[in-house]
Formats: sequence, structure tokens, C-alpha cells
Amino acid sequence: MSPRKTRSRKVAVGKEVLKKALDLTPFTDEPLRFIDEDGHPVADFSLEDVGLDAAMAVRIYEDMVLTREIDRMAWVLVRQGKAFFHISTTGHEGTFVPQLHTLTEEDWVAPFYRLPASLHVRGIKVEEIFAQYMGTRLDPLKGRQMPGHLGHPDHKLFAHGSGVGSQFAVAIGIARALQYRGKGMCIAYGGDGATSEGHFHSLMNFAGVYNLPVVVTVVNNQYAISVPRSRQTASKTIAIKAMAYGFDGFLLDGNDPIVMYYATKKLAEKARSGEGPSLIEALTYRLDPHSSADDDKRYRTEEEVKYWWEHDTLKRMRTFLEDMGLWDQDREEALRERVKAQIEEALNRAEEAGLPDWEELFHDVYAGETPWHLLEEKHLLAEELKERPLHNPLKGGH
Amino acid sequence: MPTMTLAQALRNALDIALERDDRVMIFGEDVGKRGGVFTITEGLQEKYGEMRVFDTPLDELGILGMGVGLAAAGMRPVAEIQFIDYIWPGFDALYSEAAKLRFRSGGRFAVPLVVRSPYGGRVKGGLYHSQSPETLFVHTAGLKVVIPSNPYDAKGLLLAAIADDNPVVFLEHKRMYFMSKGEVPEGYYEEPIGKAKVVREGSDVTLIAYGMMVLDSLEAAKTLEKEGISVEVIDLRSLMPFDGEAILNSVAKTGHLVTVHEAPRTLGFAAEVAAFVAERAIEYLDGPIVRVTGWDMPFPYILEDAYMPNPVRIVRGVKKALNLL
Ligand SMILES: Cc1ncc(C[n+]2csc(CCOP(=O)(O)OP(=O)(O)O)c2C)c(N)n1
Ligand SMILES: [Mg+2]
Repeated sequence: MSPRKTRSRKVAVGKEVLKKALDLTPFTDEPLRFIDEDGHPVADFSLEDVGLDAAMAVRIYEDMVLTREIDRMAWVLVRQGKAFFHISTTGHEGTFVPQLHTLTEEDWVAPFYRLPASLHVRGIKVEEIFAQYMGTRLDPLKGRQMPGHLGHPDHKLFAHGSGVGSQFAVAIGIARALQYRGKGMCIAYGGDGATSEGHFHSLMNFAGVYNLPVVVTVVNNQYAISVPRSRQTASKTIAIKAMAYGFDGFLLDGNDPIVMYYATKKLAEKARSGEGPSLIEALTYRLDPHSSADDDKRYRTEEEVKYWWEHDTLKRMRTFLEDMGLWDQDREEALRERVKAQIEEALNRAEEAGLPDWEELFHDVYAGETPWHLLEEKHLLAEELKERPLHNPLKGGH
Repeated sequence: MPTMTLAQALRNALDIALERDDRVMIFGEDVGKRGGVFTITEGLQEKYGEMRVFDTPLDELGILGMGVGLAAAGMRPVAEIQFIDYIWPGFDALYSEAAKLRFRSGGRFAVPLVVRSPYGGRVKGGLYHSQSPETLFVHTAGLKVVIPSNPYDAKGLLLAAIADDNPVVFLEHKRMYFMSKGEVPEGYYEEPIGKAKVVREGSDVTLIAYGMMVLDSLEAAKTLEKEGISVEVIDLRSLMPFDGEAILNSVAKTGHLVTVHEAPRTLGFAAEVAAFVAERAIEYLDGPIVRVTGWDMPFPYILEDAYMPNPVRIVRGVKKALNLL
């Protein structure tokens, strides 16, 4: 084929890809996308076509960069012995940030442990994110949970447990409450591995039966620790599972922030207006090991990881903004400086807050009056602590 | 005799079990290629193939349900639950199926299933990587419950659990995997399930513990020795069945009883020990029965040191039992 023919063929394919994405086509075999793996538009479209404006497009990129840098700093905290664990968000920014930006104050989020670095988009302060990683007094959870868990009723952000998939089942009730009140929707998150748990089935089934206002988002980063997606389900895609539950499933390029924004905005609105649930499968990749306790060299190749770093969602979004004439090197540098300063300041505040009060442990078990036996145990601990210091892990050592 | 860590001793036991009995199968999340998140099954898939050592989907109900089915069909399954804190989606298979199949089938079916899982605190693991829910399994008639405190016992007890025709919940303290070291014979041997071990002889007070708390108890015993108090430490090793005779023999000698565990206090295993001794040997007791435990709360993260029983708490408990506090 001549170069001109090749090019025109590419243009035709691009137009087809664009149309599929704009039509929000369910149950495709290939992920829907607006930008190619390098970040260039698959075909000509305007921001308006995809429900964006310039300010929001830039905002999404800036928040993705902030998310990335928070996450990188968390790894530093682990190396410095200031945090004892990290479960990374890196590589998932293009999924979470645009999605969270489509939500309103009425909406609820049922997250899992991959989201924390991105939750500033939902109104959690950056210092609170760091405080949660370290377990200091500024942590909204008072240091009760391992790093990588965040929740706050003020932000309609469910404080999830660590059991994989557990938030899926809870989302049934959240969505049902919203349905009863007649406003808002719930976005429920989980990983590809989490789809194997019964919780996922329960949510999908109830969502279909009650026509719940929920957008189930499966973050398919292709592994559950070491186990590849192909060992979780023999299904061709995860999105296709929605068909059996009676609603639509969408396979999206989770590293394309534009399609994540476009699709979630539409599907959230559909849920809010009583037209029922949807399933999103966001195809992405975890660029780090599963957690600071994992060694991913045991189960995946360096070439594979390298490929995904080269097509990092951050790079793709930046390229897209540049193509749109919304971004350049100067802006990038200014942003980087701003983010650096913001993180430094937030980190200091989080760190300085110190250890939460141990007394409160006894009062947060039950609402209302603390039962007598816990008061007795509190007294026993107080007596014990006259004979030994309470270990403060924030001061290092054990 | 080679020296092994707890992790190595467990791996060694699994290796021997796979080698000597072709009905043994090992499965769970990440146990195949990854060798388990604590590397307990490292190298076993390579050696025995994917039909015998394999990864499952992320589904505890599937894992334990499969375990019951394999056992019913004549296999000797060894299921790994990645952390005992995550067994609950599969509890139905354990509580309603594994524990009851023998009884409900008039003894016609056996469930020789072993469920291995890490438990316990002091690893900065927070709420869902630190708990000690052993009581719930003990309270489930039909399940045996084993908790070793050292590599030697761990190997012998795991081999005994695999050979046992009952479902056995086998809890391994994750803090001890690489910290606990000891001499372990190379070949096959079993340690009896249901038998305790006196790990330190003493005459003033009986200290009952299991798992990592055996180590804390021994440390407390040393401190107390300096104060002239002689402590007998008993490592229970099995909670169901438990070695009542060993407990009674010791209490008859010392007249004082303290039980230690990481699990919350109310209805923890110490309550059973207290009731058992109160029913049968109250005439031997010269002081209050004391429980040294975690508190009646979910396990905290950054303040785990406030929760965890420790030698100071144990010393205080012993003094209370001796009416010295
Ligand atoms: C019920 C339960 N079982 C096991 C675990 C241990 N675990 C934590 S994360 C994880 C893998 C989850 O994979 P996936 O759902 O794909 O999410 P990802 O971590 O890849 O984002 C496992 C097995 C857990 N937390 N909960
Ligand atoms: Mg995954």
C-alpha cells in the first residue's frame, strides 16, 4: 500500500474508533478510547464533543500529576521508615481522577485501597492523605487502618474495609438509600481480582433487580497480586458480565482520561435519572508492585512493566493537552513546582500531628455510652502504661 | 539436625506431604508461581506441577468449598487462606460444610481438609492483617484447631493435621515466620494434635499460652524469676481438642492460673480454660483466675502496641493471680 493509502486507512480506522467511543458502545472486545496509546486523538474531535471544556481538561491533568506525586512521596515515606506500608495508585490516575471529577456532592463513592492518592479530588485534604499513610492524628480514620484506606462521611466517601470486594456489597445499600431519597448515584470500585468474590455477584445482581443508581467500576490492572486476569475469569472481558445481569457493560481504556470522563459522566447521569446501573471495566496497569510488601519480579517481566511505563496515562494526557494547544513546558514546570510545594507543606502538617490518643480506642467501639467492660480494660491499660512506655512507631524503631 | 525458620519448617512439611501422598493438593491465592505472599509454598508448584499446587481465583468461598469437595471425593486438600482475616467470605464452607459433613452423614463422609492461614499481630498490619479469631473455629464443633509456637512443632503438627481425617484449622503466627528458628528433623514425623507441652517448669503459677504468646510468656517468666516467682509455662499447641489433663496437672501443682492470648478477652479461649479449671479444680486454686488478652475491640493500626498483650501485661496478670497487685 502507498503511504497515502496507509494514512487514509489509518484515518478511517480512527474515525471508527472515535464513533464507537462517542456512541458509548457497550460490550466491545476492544477498549473504547478517544486518544491513542501515545496520547494523540484517534480522530478529530473537540473538547465539547466529549463533555469537557479547557479548564476541566487541564484540571484533570493537574490532579493526575498531584496524585502521582503524592503516591511517589508515599514510597519515600516507606523507605524513610515513616510509613510502614504502601499500596500504590501509580498508573491508575487516568481512571480515578477523571471519574471522580464527574461526580456531584449528592453522589457517593465506595472506594478500595488503590484510590487514596487520588481522593483529594473528592475533597480529602492532601495532608489527610499523608496522615492516613502514616497514621497520625490528622488521619480522618485516627490511625485505625493500614495505609491505603480512606473514607469520610462528609465527602460521601465510604470507609471501606480491607477485604477484597467488600465495598461492592455495601454499595448495594448505599445505592438503594440514594434511590429511596431520589437523588445522587454511587460509584463502586474494585479490582479485577475482586470480581471473583461473591460480593461482586451480589452487587451486580441486586443492581439489576432493583435498577439501582450505581456505576460499578472494575479497575482491571490485569493482576491480583501475582494472579493474572486470565486466572480470575475465563470470560473474554469483565464488561460482558453485565449482560447476564440485565444491564450494559463498557470496556474502556482506563489510561485514557478522556474516555473515562466522558463515559462516567454519561453513565452517572443515567444512574441519577433512574435509568439504571452500568458496569465499567477500566483496562489499566499497576506500574508498581502490588504493595511495598510485594516482589513483582516473581510473576511479571520487566519488558511488560516497561511497555506500560512508556504508555503511562500521565504522558498520554499531557500529549493530548499539548495537541489541543492547552499545555506546554512552561506550564508543566510551574505545575511541578506548585505540586512540590503543596506536598511538602501537607506532609509537614501530617507528620507534626503526632500519634492519635490511645484512650479513644476504647470509645470508638460502640456508639453511645462506652460499656463497662471497655472502661475496665481502658483502666487496665492505663495502669500498664505506668510501667512501660507506649511504643510510638512514628518515632522509628521497635 | 538442620536449623529452620518457621516458614522453612512449614514448607518442608508441605513438600514431604506432597511427596509421600499423591492425594495431597495445595491451593489458594498466589500460592503457585508467587509461592504465597509469605513464600511458604515457594518452589512447590515447580516441583509437583499445576494439578497439585495451584492458584485459585480470589474467592475464599470457592477455595474452602473446593476443599470440602476434594476431601469428600478422597483427596487430602491443604487450602491456604492468605490471611485469616479474609476467611469470612468462605466461612459458610467451613462452618456449615466442613465442620458438619461427618456428623450429618452419619459418619459416612470424612473431611480431611487442612486450612492453613497466618494470624496474629505485632506486624504493623492493622485491622485486617493482625487478628486472632481462633475462638470462632474452636466454637465450631467438628473443626480441630492447631496453633504452633516453633518450627519443630509446626512441622510435626502440620503433618499430623494432613494425616488427620478431620478438618483442621492450622494457624501460623506471621510475625514468627522468619523470626522463629529452631532445629527440625529432616524426615517425616508427627506431633500429636491435642497434646500440650510444658515449655518451662515452675511451681508458683501456671501460665497457659499458644502461638507467639508463648514467647511473651517465657519472657515474663524470666522477669518474674528475678522477683522470686516461679512460673510454669504451658504451650497448648492445640485448642481443639485441648489438653485438659496438662492444665489440671499444672494447676494442681501451682494453685494459680493465668491464660494469655492476643484475641479479645470476652469469650476468648482463656474463658474456656477458666471455666474448665473452675469446674474441675477450684479446690486447688489459691487466687483469682486471670486472663491476659487483647482488648474487646477491633485490632488497631498505629496504636497496636496499646492493644497487644506483652510481657509487662503478663507480669501484671501473674501478680494479680498471686494477689500481689
Ligand atoms: C477477601 C480477601 N482475600 C484476600 C485478600 C488479600 N489481597 C489483598 S489485595 C489482593 C489482590 C486484589 O487484586 P485486585 O482485586 O485485582 O485489585 P488490585 O490490587 O490489583 O488493584 C489480595 C488477594 C484480601 N485483602 N481480602
Ligand atoms: Mg488487579
